[in-house]
Amino acid sequence: MDLSIIAERISQKIHSKGKDVDQKQIEAKLRLLVDEFGVQPAEAERTVISELGREYHVQGLAGAVETDRRAIAELVPEEWVTIEGKVVGLSVPNSPSIAQTGIIADASGAVRFVVWAKAGAPTLEQGRWYRVESGVVDEFRRAVNLKIHSGTTVTPIETDQPLLPSVTTVEGLKPGVASVRVRMVQEWEARSERILQTGIVGDPSGTIKFTIWKEEGWEPLAPETVYDIYYATVDEYNGRLSLVLNSGTVVPDEGAELEVGAGGQEFRGAIVHVGQGSGLVKRCPVEGCNRVLSRQNYCPIHEIQPEFRYDLRIKAVLDDGTATKNVLMQRETTEKTAGITLDEAIEIAENSPLGMDEVFLRVQAAVMGRYLDCRGREMDTTVLITEADWHRFDSAALAALMDRAGGGA
Amino acid sequence: MKPGNQVPPGGRREARFEREPARRVFAVELREARHQFRDGTEEKSPTYVMLPTGQRANRVFVVGTMTEKQKQGEQHSFYRVRVVDPTGTTFISAGNYQPEAMQQIARIEPPAFVAVVGKPNVFEAPDGGGVYVSLRAESVTVVDRETRDLWILDASRVTLDRIDAFGTTEDSKRAAEEYRIDPALFRRAVTDALAQIEL
Repeated sequence: MDLSIIAERISQKIHSKGKDVDQKQIEAKLRLLVDEFGVQPAEAERTVISELGREYHVQGLAGAVETDRRAIAELVPEEWVTIEGKVVGLSVPNSPSIAQTGIIADASGAVRFVVWAKAGAPTLEQGRWYRVESGVVDEFRRAVNLKIHSGTTVTPIETDQPLLPSVTTVEGLKPGVASVRVRMVQEWEARSERILQTGIVGDPSGTIKFTIWKEEGWEPLAPETVYDIYYATVDEYNGRLSLVLNSGTVVPDEGAELEVGAGGQEFRGAIVHVGQGSGLVKRCPVEGCNRVLSRQNYCPIHEIQPEFRYDLRIKAVLDDGTATKNVLMQRETTEKTAGITLDEAIEIAENSPLGMDEVFLRVQAAVMGRYLDCRGREMDTTVLITEADWHRFDSAALAALMDRAGGGA
Repeated sequence: MKPGNQVPPGGRREARFEREPARRVFAVELREARHQFRDGTEEKSPTYVMLPTGQRANRVFVVGTMTEKQKQGEQHSFYRVRVVDPTGTTFISAGNYQPEAMQQIARIEPPAFVAVVGKPNVFEAPDGGGVYVSLRAESVTVVDRETRDLWILDASRVTLDRIDAFGTTEDSKRAAEEYRIDPALFRRAVTDALAQIEL
């Protein structure tokens, strides 16, 4: 590998910024990385450029590295990439160090982007196409996003190609940005003044929680109406996905019909363990936090929270004799399977000498060792249960087993 | 770690711990188990009891009738419990190291239908009284008759599955070397058990 060509390229880049560096010195740095440490030449070039950039206080050098042009759907964290896309959404940044945030899309998908104030990039306009060279892909809360920094080159491009959003199913959603066609299924009581509407939308593959924050120009979704939602943000929280619509566009399809499936998979088995933290729990009241507090009302983030909210849940292990699943039941399913309402649980906890432990024991007694049929979504290591019913005795199953046992005797 | 454990993409989360499933076994089969072994050489490698129908069990789930509970040992430090299913009796123990199970047993008055999750162990009786198997309880809770019936169906189905697969799996080949019991004998136990479900 002839590193002198790379050295020359780097030298010229720095020269163009008004500084001069000895080309031999650059080549020596490259050689050290490539020959001694086995670094790939492209990566070595990037390393040396960024090192010299710091040393000589020159910015905007990193763009010198050629990066691969990628389809947006194929972006993976910790890569430098070049993409071409259309700005389909802009939002107000929440920090002075950020110049702009928004969503950029191509035919394959869409991604959130962040333009650092220091990037010196042109102001992006909604609806225009740009070529973004040497952006950095990273990951925040499992959602991929694109950082536009001082080494990134952003150039407007003219294209007449129409952009058709790539629409996914609810079941196929993952953290990031996505477009779906769904029916509004259920509205929930909003827990915050800042929420315009929250509830459930769904398509034949399943359902998902959605939220619309109060912002100008937003109206609540109408029940049972079908909507095309373009470029909503998919967040993950506690292993559970939800859609925030404000980043996108919502188009009602009046009169259309759409079947909504239960989604998820079926799980069956016996409950062989009920974990600590089941039963009555206290949650942090800080908006968007919702973490379970310790017995002393301590939230790991927001510290002491005497104004907690009570909630009911079951963390258990479902075992079918062949494999086990950690399952999580939220309030509604817990109330149904344990046969206790949240209000009853609160009353027990407040009046029993054992307090919340009494609720734990009752919930445990109600569910341990019993056979459950449920539906849920598998998130990481836990299945979030959306529907659960106790398995009932079926005499046909008995008859079939009698036949089978007798058949070989 | 067992094969099949995996680090999720990103590698930041902890490696997945796979909990051993609880095998459903009738008393008549469990009491014939003799072969106990450790899978791996590390101190924390799991131990298994080989079931005569040819499946290793690190954990067992039984539902039956608790007919008797007794405090034993110096300082009454552990419980011995008998749980009866249609095929026989399974012995359960819970000591100071299983405080949750001990407290649960303390609250139960036999006779009662109970669900037991526990780890099987093969013991040699100190007085030369032979070898026996017991379950060290992780949990003992009261259930209803329907759950008992469902367990009989469940245990029947998997026992038949094991008998049908005998000789075709690694574990069952190993069981065939360790035991001189024809697994087909347990088919009879299944028939008897099913016959005891009252409709």
